[in-house]
Amino acid sequence: MKIQLRHAVNAGVIFGIITIFLFLIGFTGTAADLFSDLFRNKNAASFLGLNPQMLNMLIFLGLIGVWAGAYGSRKSKSQTDDPWGAALIGGLTAGLVDGLLVSCLALLVGTLNLRGVRINVYLSEVLPDAIKLFLVGKSPLQGATVYFVWLTLTGLLGGLLSRGLGRGSWRARSGAAWNNILGKISQQSIVKQVRGSRNTRYVVYGILLLLVFLLPLRAGPYWNYTIGSVGIYVLLGLGLNIVVGLAGLLDLGYVAFFAIGAYTMALLTAPQPHHLMWSFWIALPIGVLLAALTGLLLGAPVLRMRGDYLAIVTLGFGEIIRILSKSDALTPFTGGPSGVKAIGFPTLFGKPFNSGVDFVYLIFLAVLLIIFVTNRLQNSRVGRAWEAMREDETVSRAMGINTLTQKLLAFAIGAAFAGLGGALFASRNVFTGPEDHNLMVSINVVAVVIVGGMGNIPGVIAGALVLKGLPEVLRQLQDYRVLVFGALLVVMMLWRPAGLIPSSRRKMEVGKDTGVIETPEGGRGK
Amino acid sequence: MPNIKPPARRVTTYKIVQGIIGVVFAGYLIWRLFVVFIANPSYGPDTWARFAIAGLILGSVYALVAIGYTLVYGILRMINFAHGDIMMIGAFGGYFVFEALKSIPTPTLADPELTFLNAHPALSVIAAFIVGVSIAALSGYFLEKIAYRPLRGAPRLVPLISAIGASIFLENAAQLLFGAQRRDYANPVVLTRGEGWGIPIGGSNVILTYTGVLTVVISTLLMIALYLLVMRTRLGRSMRAVSENKQVAALMGIDVDGVISRTFIISGALAGAAGVMWGIHLGLVYHFVGFIPGIKAFTAAVLGGIGNIPGAMMGGLFLGLVESMGPAVLGINFQLKDVIAFCILVLVLIFRPTGIMGEVLTEEKV
Amino acid sequence: MTIALETRSLTKQFGGLTAVNAVDLVIPENAIFSVIGPNGAGKTTFYNCITAFYEPDAGEVLFYGKSLVGLTPDQVTYRGISRTYQNIRLFANMSAIENILVGEHSRLRASWLEAIIRTPRVVKEEIDALEKARQLLNFVGLNSLGDQLARNLPYGAQRRLEIARALASQPRLLLLDEPTAGMNPHETTDMMHFIRRLRDELSITILLIEHDMRVVMGISEQIAVLDYGAKIAEGTPAEIQHNPRVIEAYLGSGAASGLNAAARQPA
Repeated sequence: MKIQLRHAVNAGVIFGIITIFLFLIGFTGTAADLFSDLFRNKNAASFLGLNPQMLNMLIFLGLIGVWAGAYGSRKSKSQTDDPWGAALIGGLTAGLVDGLLVSCLALLVGTLNLRGVRINVYLSEVLPDAIKLFLVGKSPLQGATVYFVWLTLTGLLGGLLSRGLGRGSWRARSGAAWNNILGKISQQSIVKQVRGSRNTRYVVYGILLLLVFLLPLRAGPYWNYTIGSVGIYVLLGLGLNIVVGLAGLLDLGYVAFFAIGAYTMALLTAPQPHHLMWSFWIALPIGVLLAALTGLLLGAPVLRMRGDYLAIVTLGFGEIIRILSKSDALTPFTGGPSGVKAIGFPTLFGKPFNSGVDFVYLIFLAVLLIIFVTNRLQNSRVGRAWEAMREDETVSRAMGINTLTQKLLAFAIGAAFAGLGGALFASRNVFTGPEDHNLMVSINVVAVVIVGGMGNIPGVIAGALVLKGLPEVLRQLQDYRVLVFGALLVVMMLWRPAGLIPSSRRKMEVGKDTGVIETPEGGRGK
Repeated sequence: MPNIKPPARRVTTYKIVQGIIGVVFAGYLIWRLFVVFIANPSYGPDTWARFAIAGLILGSVYALVAIGYTLVYGILRMINFAHGDIMMIGAFGGYFVFEALKSIPTPTLADPELTFLNAHPALSVIAAFIVGVSIAALSGYFLEKIAYRPLRGAPRLVPLISAIGASIFLENAAQLLFGAQRRDYANPVVLTRGEGWGIPIGGSNVILTYTGVLTVVISTLLMIALYLLVMRTRLGRSMRAVSENKQVAALMGIDVDGVISRTFIISGALAGAAGVMWGIHLGLVYHFVGFIPGIKAFTAAVLGGIGNIPGAMMGGLFLGLVESMGPAVLGINFQLKDVIAFCILVLVLIFRPTGIMGEVLTEEKV
Repeated sequence: MTIALETRSLTKQFGGLTAVNAVDLVIPENAIFSVIGPNGAGKTTFYNCITAFYEPDAGEVLFYGKSLVGLTPDQVTYRGISRTYQNIRLFANMSAIENILVGEHSRLRASWLEAIIRTPRVVKEEIDALEKARQLLNFVGLNSLGDQLARNLPYGAQRRLEIARALASQPRLLLLDEPTAGMNPHETTDMMHFIRRLRDELSITILLIEHDMRVVMGISEQIAVLDYGAKIAEGTPAEIQHNPRVIEAYLGSGAASGLNAAARQPA
């Protein structure tokens, strides 16, 4: 019982701190707005004497309380003589502690606010209006009491619910559930494919192609832009996938090659600063080639290094490129901090091919091309060499694989893809500058590959959709995007390091130190 | 043993290229040194003194952070990407202490505006350090517990991504909590930035700032303390044992998890102290303040040989000096001083990956 | 008699420790040659020097008369030397067939460009490679296990797969590192027959590190004994069995009778 209690108190403390944190960053208000849009519960609100925002905030915080209670009562051992009682006590305690902490916060913040202390000088989101909302319009003491009671009750509820939902590690069960879903999905298409084999597959592809052709014509410019961005990230993800997923090289400076592709397109086709104004179709392959060349040049010295060092060095290189492009010294060459404007656009049979729709087609074609190339490489001697290198580099050398050459190859090809993406990106945006090519781009692409599922194409597409598409859908959470992104990376690594759609057989084996044969699922543990 | 010659080392293209680059770079360096010091000195000795002093101060801060990196890498073989952000947390801790103490009025007849901060500067600084270091140490502890410990044993990429995610999270949490604006450290009056002892060198007055001296002194003391800790205490021995071989250390009865936790606490504490000093000396504190110094400190750690504590110290000092004097010597724009750090990193990793003072890590076995 | 492999005063030091101490060895073509010695005698290090995983500090390694020193491991494989490992080092997450295909890497020609375009030559090469891999799989007796992941195979099958992978590069010299480790007597006998088959049917030279004396005495034609990195004895199985220095090295002084008894067990 004591252990149970201690665990529940821990849970209460954790969730209490989380709630306090969410309030301090202003997330409670945003969540309240979000819920208001979702629930439309004006009537219920006025019934309770609150405005809808306040009600929804209470709902939001209440949900957290339920989670706290469920988490707090989770560890009930099967030996306890009264599992329901244990769940109740666990949930109640967790809720109590959580409520205590939050109500203290309410009291403190409310009182300070009444005294006229301007908290937002230090904590920029804690504005008087936010405080008023937090206290649901009541006095500090009343607000505190409300929270204490409300969170204790919801904690209790959480405890009861968790008892009803069953036992077992959440992570394992949710992981299993997700695998189940994936399994069911793959069963479907496999069934179809097995039945019609090639023909059905072509029909499915044909339908997809038609969809892709028609969709941009219907979607507005905003959605086309978004789809295009997702497409470019798929492109970059597939490129990095070759480097990280197939060859196992930690590249954190991928944006450097993106930048080279973009700047090549920009500097060759724009009127300033070089007055070249070449055609898009000429600048594009040049950009790809230059990026690949840079990949070779950078790779040669760098690929001999240990995995972690490789990561930092590539990161450094990406930053060097950005700093150089931003520097005043190189402005006559690169356009400096203000970037390059009026970048050229593609033409088809002499007519401009640069509308939003056109670019979506172009990007889609590029993605198809990359998928084709990746597929061919993956199932060849080269692809096998990469995979062997990733599994066990030392032994792969003993197989006759010149690891350095193969790594260079992967690096250069990945760089070429990034260059392609960069060139398309620059042309579509008509403008590019140093701030388009910062570290976050590299990290975003790495996240797309890792979160989506390394080493496989559907995974990368899923990753791009989730990481680039979802934020567009949840536009209200704009300010918290990056925070969620960081948290998501950590959570994904803790929950599913192999990615959303793990490669069916390949697991992440980057930089393994020993060749021990027993590797468990999911790439975790020893 | 019969008289057999050692095998001839094959001269690969790589080594030739290395040699050429080395010679070219050395030549350029020598030429620049000649130009800058002898042929066409654009800076007088006073400016060089200023550069050197600034470099030393910066270097000691880098050294402190670098030690943290090296400790964690030695014990876990991972780069703690969020280390720079721990430094930022420490900096903010100290900031808030100063702000709090600044608003406690302790008026006297002589000075009705006097605040606690200025009335008891020594106490205030100590308080700032205590708070900054404690919060940073605590953050280090929780960081390891939440984001790294569950991933022990996973392939190397996984904790690295987690570290990156943690770093991004911490930076943005700080931004959301405290806002994106850059905040000034409210030093006590006696410790105002820019004031110090004047030393006449080469015709003008070179200032040895109070804050600078404080920084160097505290850094040195901390580094000595840490070295003694690692070399002379039981905990230090345990840390070194776990760095060598986790399994065997566990078999010897060492609480590996505990040692790792404590390493993170210590590493966080050092970073926190560095953060407070950064605030006191350089003055600006904001959510992103730990990012670039973090990377530079990692460069310093690698420079000295990762896993090697004296190496990290040397690396930090060296980097600070080079960053301060480098642009002037090489004749490039000061804007590009960050580039220097990265370039050094790349060059060291290419030419001498084990660092200047040599790594302390074990080889792969077949 | 053609000499397949010769080492002259091969020496490898790690810091103060001399792991391989001036070892001279002459291995004739098509021989089954064993290297034995107590644990830590430097046998695997010796292998590593031959396959260029380590660079020797002194001495020479000659493969059919040509020096191997200073080459990279992949170059050594191109020359025709292959090996297996003490702790099995298969590519765990690749299938058995894929493991063998990787082994064929050095004998295939497809470049990345050709892989993308898929020229007819490359297509044929892949088909042939797959066929050859299947043959090797059959040769080692793993016919139906081709698509199994390497890590899911039973231990004995893994050992044989590793040998198949080593054979995929068409070596002239095969270095086996404790191939019967962890096997029961029945499996060990099978492996002994298998090694003989390897030599007889494929005409390759076999160098063998082994601890199981039954295997060593049973199939070796020549044995070299290492102790603390130095060669202390060399000769036929009969000569080695009765060599007092060898017995001492393994069992301490006065243990001569023990070793003889073990060696006389029925094969």
